[in-house]
Amino acid sequence: MNMLTPALVLTVLGTGDPARVNEPVPAKLHVGDKVKIRNLNPASHNRLPSYIKGKLGTVTFDHGVFVFPDTSAHRNGPKPQHVYTVVFTAAELWGPNGHPSDRIYVDVWDDYVDLAN
Amino acid sequence: MNGIHDIGGHHGYGPVIVEANEPNFHEVWEGRMLSMMIGCFAAGVYNVDQFRHPIEKMDPRHYLLSSYYEKWLCTVEQNCIDTGIVTRDEVDARHKQLIEGKVT
Repeated sequence: MNMLTPALVLTVLGTGDPARVNEPVPAKLHVGDKVKIRNLNPASHNRLPSYIKGKLGTVTFDHGVFVFPDTSAHRNGPKPQHVYTVVFTAAELWGPNGHPSDRIYVDVWDDYVDLAN
Repeated sequence: MNGIHDIGGHHGYGPVIVEANEPNFHEVWEGRMLSMMIGCFAAGVYNVDQFRHPIEKMDPRHYLLSSYYEKWLCTVEQNCIDTGIVTRDEVDARHKQLIEGKVT
């Protein structure tokens, strides 16, 4: 087991636990793609908020490749994949209660999203 | 999982309260909690995802009523149990000692 020494404290506090992975994983999606979020409800860990499940949005940014929390949380490996920012209209998420000019940006892992038909 | 932590977009929880000149720690034990958190992280007890999951699995009543660092205590305890460093019985016995004022 590793030991945290005083000399390491500032480094650990400064860097945290970076999840970015330097591996050439292909991107499934690109900026401008219309996408649909998968409706996933595992009892295990994920980072997919319920309010975007099944919703339609548009990719606005590709952050690069990151560890996949769903597998990482259960000691099943990093399964590296792209993380995208997807923008949703408020009306898409909240129906008629959504303000017409509001937009919501959510970062989603590749395994949470498909190209919309 | 879609548990008590997954409340984005839900009504009725009130505004986010922003404290002016917020200190790093409101209580001395919160600083100790940060030390425990990074000590166990550096020792390889958990990664950030393994750290988050036990918080999602807290009893929903406890989750809503507990503070930020209290949630950290729950997941550090659970991860130390999951990796065999301590047992649940040992953690419960320590809680009992603290509640009864037998240790400080």
